Amino acid sequence: MRYFWLSLKAIFIKDIVTELRAKQVLPTMIVLGMLIVWVLRMASEAVLQSEAVIGPVALWIAFLFAGLLAQERSFATEQQQDCIYALLLAPVDEGTIYLAKLFVNIVLLSIFEIIIVPVVIVAFKLNINNWPALIGVLLLGNIAISSVGTLFSAIVQLSRARGALLSILVLVILMPMMIPATFALLLVFGAIPPEMIGTGALAFVGTLGSAVGYMITFDAVFVVACWLLFGFAIKE
Amino acid sequence: MRKILLFITLVLLLASTWMALTKGRIEGPSANPDSPVRNIIYAHVPSSICSLVCFTVLLVTAIGYLATGNESWDHVAAATAEVGIIFATVLNATGMIFSRAEWGPWWTASPRLISSAILWFLYVVYLILRSSLPGSKQRRARVCAVFAIIAFLDVPMVYISARYMKEIHQPSFTFDNPWQRGAFFMGMVSTMFLAAMLIWIKTDILKIKSRLEAE
Repeated sequence: MRYFWLSLKAIFIKDIVTELRAKQVLPTMIVLGMLIVWVLRMASEAVLQSEAVIGPVALWIAFLFAGLLAQERSFATEQQQDCIYALLLAPVDEGTIYLAKLFVNIVLLSIFEIIIVPVVIVAFKLNINNWPALIGVLLLGNIAISSVGTLFSAIVQLSRARGALLSILVLVILMPMMIPATFALLLVFGAIPPEMIGTGALAFVGTLGSAVGYMITFDAVFVVACWLLFGFAIKE
Repeated sequence: MRKILLFITLVLLLASTWMALTKGRIEGPSANPDSPVRNIIYAHVPSSICSLVCFTVLLVTAIGYLATGNESWDHVAAATAEVGIIFATVLNATGMIFSRAEWGPWWTASPRLISSAILWFLYVVYLILRSSLPGSKQRRARVCAVFAIIAFLDVPMVYISARYMKEIHQPSFTFDNPWQRGAFFMGMVSTMFLAAMLIWIKTDILKIKSRLEAE
């Protein structure tokens, strides 16, 4: 067990330090996120009073695409000078490599979230009535995006159209999660009047609790499945 | 052997079409009483069940390949995905025609409609992944098996997430007379036969192709 933690820490710190020194992807992620948010902000000008609804949607779109950038990098760097072989030759379980890369992606996406959420709040004039719920929902979405993305990043590493392939793989699996995730953010930002929650007036008839419960299930299923299957995906 | 089975499939398909269009015709409450659109159920429901069965077969072959490493599993997987996407396309197309005729919109957000749309997308992405992976054959087969398992796990997640949405889909349908039940049963059997035959033939083609490549 101690060996597991040591190797997890070693790979995690290696990746974080390389990213912080080279600043390969974080600046691009942040600029892309801001551009997505501002493009949607401009688009929302077409309809008056639509900010509260489009804001959460913009937030998820920004997360999805910034997350794709982070995940694409997580194994692309290992391809340079065949570092991946050294990583695989190291006496470390493949599952540990997956978890370390997953934590790196979660941390990168969290840094991104810390910067982009205030931008969205300012741009879309949003009010937050439930801070802990906001942080929880964002973290759950972050884990879901990163868990699937990290596995598929290992799958597409040899492909020439790496980014394109990664984006379709990740987006198709994450599609079902977008319904409860967007609903939860709409509730957190108060875009839905309380008396409408849980009624047939909305397409989604659950409450914040059911949406969060769904996201927890989604995260648990895919983190465990990706962790178990990662060994098959990474081998040559 | 295969010729006989192909002949049986053809006979079953013709018989089920005949039954659906003559004695099994569904008349009844509808937005437009003269519209024959309700009979689409004879193509819609069998192809929906067939595309789900193909997805389950895909999971079994993926697990089979990962467990044994035998290339035959991969051939069956590729064939099943190609056949599955045909039935998923028929499912969505017939559903859209029915939706337009009975409810108005071509497509709307409703649990079963979302589920079948995502099912179609999963098949498409699986086939794209299959055709665009470089590297050895073994690696491609392994990676596709991994994606098939993840995609299969996605299906119950789609159902759960869609369960929270308003349902406009038909509740389970009841037939009025034995002819209709018979036509429906024939539709199911003939579609299953057709799917099995297509998978069988496609698997053989893939086997021969891989043998030719090896030589």
